[in-house]
Amino acid sequence: MADSTYPIPGAVEAPSRRWSQAAVLEWLNSWVTTVDHKKLGILYIVYAIFFLLVGGAEAIAIRIQLIQPNMHFLSPQVFNRIFTMHGTTMVFLFGMTYIFGFANYLIPLMIGARDMAFPRLNALSFWLTFFGGILLYYSFIGGGGLYGAGNAPDVMWWAYAPLTERAFSPGHAPDYWALSLIVTGFGTIGASINVISTAFCMRCKGMTLMRLPLLVWVMTVASGLALITITPLTAAQVMLLIDRYLGGHFFDTQAGGSAMIWAHFFWIFGHPEVYVLVLPAFAIANEVIPVFSRKAMFGYPAVVASSVAIAFVSLGVWAHHMFTIGMTSVGNAFFVLSTELVGIPTAIKIFNWLATMWGGKIRFATPMLFCTAFVIQFLLAGLTGIILSIAPWNWQLHNSYFVIAHFHYILVGAIAFCIFGGIYYWYPKVTGRMLSEKLGKWHFWLFVIGFHITFDVMHIPGILGMPRSIYTYEADRGWGTLNMIVSIGGIIQAIAVLIFAWNLISSYFKGKIAGNDPWDAWTLEWSTPSPPPVYNFATDPVVTSRRPLWDLKHPDDPDWHYE
Amino acid sequence: METHETNHSSQHGGAIHLPAPTAWPIVLAFGATLILAGVVTSGYVSILGAVLLISGCVGWFRQVLPHEAHEDVPVEAEEITIASTRTHVTRIEISDEHRAHLPVETYPILSGIKGGIAGGIAMIFPAMLYGLVTQHSIWYPVNLLGGAGVAHWTNPTTAEIASFHLSALIIATIIHILGSVLVGLLYGAMLPMFPRHPIVLGGIVAPLLWTGVMHSSLGVINPALDARISWPWFVVSQVAFGLVAGLVVVRQGKIKTGQSMPFVLRMGVEASGMYSDKEDRH
Repeated sequence: MADSTYPIPGAVEAPSRRWSQAAVLEWLNSWVTTVDHKKLGILYIVYAIFFLLVGGAEAIAIRIQLIQPNMHFLSPQVFNRIFTMHGTTMVFLFGMTYIFGFANYLIPLMIGARDMAFPRLNALSFWLTFFGGILLYYSFIGGGGLYGAGNAPDVMWWAYAPLTERAFSPGHAPDYWALSLIVTGFGTIGASINVISTAFCMRCKGMTLMRLPLLVWVMTVASGLALITITPLTAAQVMLLIDRYLGGHFFDTQAGGSAMIWAHFFWIFGHPEVYVLVLPAFAIANEVIPVFSRKAMFGYPAVVASSVAIAFVSLGVWAHHMFTIGMTSVGNAFFVLSTELVGIPTAIKIFNWLATMWGGKIRFATPMLFCTAFVIQFLLAGLTGIILSIAPWNWQLHNSYFVIAHFHYILVGAIAFCIFGGIYYWYPKVTGRMLSEKLGKWHFWLFVIGFHITFDVMHIPGILGMPRSIYTYEADRGWGTLNMIVSIGGIIQAIAVLIFAWNLISSYFKGKIAGNDPWDAWTLEWSTPSPPPVYNFATDPVVTSRRPLWDLKHPDDPDWHYE
Repeated sequence: METHETNHSSQHGGAIHLPAPTAWPIVLAFGATLILAGVVTSGYVSILGAVLLISGCVGWFRQVLPHEAHEDVPVEAEEITIASTRTHVTRIEISDEHRAHLPVETYPILSGIKGGIAGGIAMIFPAMLYGLVTQHSIWYPVNLLGGAGVAHWTNPTTAEIASFHLSALIIATIIHILGSVLVGLLYGAMLPMFPRHPIVLGGIVAPLLWTGVMHSSLGVINPALDARISWPWFVVSQVAFGLVAGLVVVRQGKIKTGQSMPFVLRMGVEASGMYSDKEDRH
């Protein structure tokens, strides 16, 4: 059913964009001082893509170092710094920001509002996130400088105390990690409050809660979860700084502190964080899959309920990261069961997507390709998740590359795929230009091939006992060929991402004019010009169903007949 | 779409009020970051950060108190055409029999037992025919089935098996009756899964299932029978059983399942009259 020649309504060849140099300063000023949700959304997404490229470059450095035994491409300390920065960047600077990029840009448009509930707080949230990222990467300059990677954090993205205490981590590496994430955390809190307030308070007439676009619902749930979970992380980071600078003993086991406190604080943030990241990916899939299947989303109430259920259950599973610390059997059993429980609402979602596609007239344009691959890969990631959630298996596989393969299956196979799908889907609305379908297909196929070469194979050295976080390994372990394959897959993914970046830039200047509604979609944002005016809607819309544009396109058979 | 006023923005004539752009959030964010950056750099950085943070707060408050600064954005008249490439609306077609996957009527389990008895009688005839054709004796299959009850049989000859033995007849009759009734009961229990095709179930599915079970277990239950049985004839007997059992079941008629009953009735909650009320409405 693949249709690479799918005709895009209104898409025509357009002359290249040209900017006069005199306008650049004014243009820059307009972005720095903006409180417009659309511009801030774009800033978030550009920021996220920038750090995707940076974090990706770090991943490639890691893979080059591990491509064969006894490599000396990176020194052990620089490897630790790159390893830490890769994880920190991808989770906090890429993952946490893409959410608010999409949410900022889309939610007001989807609910018929003119802006977010707190436009100035919105700007503050972005700039806090921005400067937090700057502070994190500024750490490369201090200490030993760039060649020795300066004071860049080398404590891994989980920064386990007491290894991050002064006795084990002199210098400023843990401080940069904690301080920069505190700053971005404040930004996250502000943005979360804004998303929730906007979704509940700014809806246009007729937009009841049960008519909210699923993206808005799920982004709101994810923001609520972020709001709840970022707080204990921030508290733990402040406690760590108190230990390091003011002689506190929260995590200092020599003085009566507990290493377990950090583990609990971190993972009570860290596991729900996975859902904070993946729920917005679901949100994107919830919009893309129905439009490209030409069917209404199957089981709207179930999708909403399962999203809320995932958020609740995810708050009670954090200790499955801690099976090896020596909890009681009852404690282990509780967290095994609670972790398994998450499988129910997530399975509901998978069935919803499959049922939506079932019998639909599917158009495999690039956004749909990414979202289809997402469904398959997310299912596979869930299967390895079940393995890791069983305590005895977890004891065998803990801290192995199997774990890394599993969570990259989610973070890349689910989240990154949906983000790419979302960008291909909404790029025409944001810029007024279509992304190149040809480059998009190249991007998709190279990325999906590279992804599977990398992360399918990565499970095997994990099962064979290769620990995570190691700088190098001996040749007699039998991991060399596997790591070579994994690294080649990583490089293929990197090439795909570069094609994507080129597509973003070149299509902005030379892409076909998109028109208002290139995908024949149903939500309100497609009723505005592309790009939308600063006020979004010249007149405030009134909606009568979950698919307002469907109603306008088909007044003879509107959706509200069926709701 | 209709027009109505919402939230903090408003429309006046040809312009819309929106929050004015401001640099104070970036100043405030930069100040806050510098305060924390001072921990790893210098105290002076924190002091500069504090100055910026306070400036940002003051500047911000002055923009929103007592009145929020705003800008008027002129509305550009642009005609938006909402159109679809689809020429008609496609909905999921739901047939009247959509819920037939959950049968509203099925055969009673008792009908399976009746069918089992009838089938048990019917399968006697092909079994005896088998004895006559292969051993010229109707007692051959009877003795094979009842052989376990004939104590002195250790390695019987074919002639001994083909002759009449009362004890073997009694044992074979008991086994056959019990077997037929039990298979009939199994048949009745399976019917709700195949309510539309009782003869297919009885004539093909059940005989094959039963033959499979017997084939795998007869060596333990009755080794003498297992050594001499003819499985093609056994299948023919079973099919005869199944076809007759199926015909008997079809003649028993169907009963309603609980699918069409209200939930409270299916749960056994006392709600007299509810079912008939619902029927009346239909």
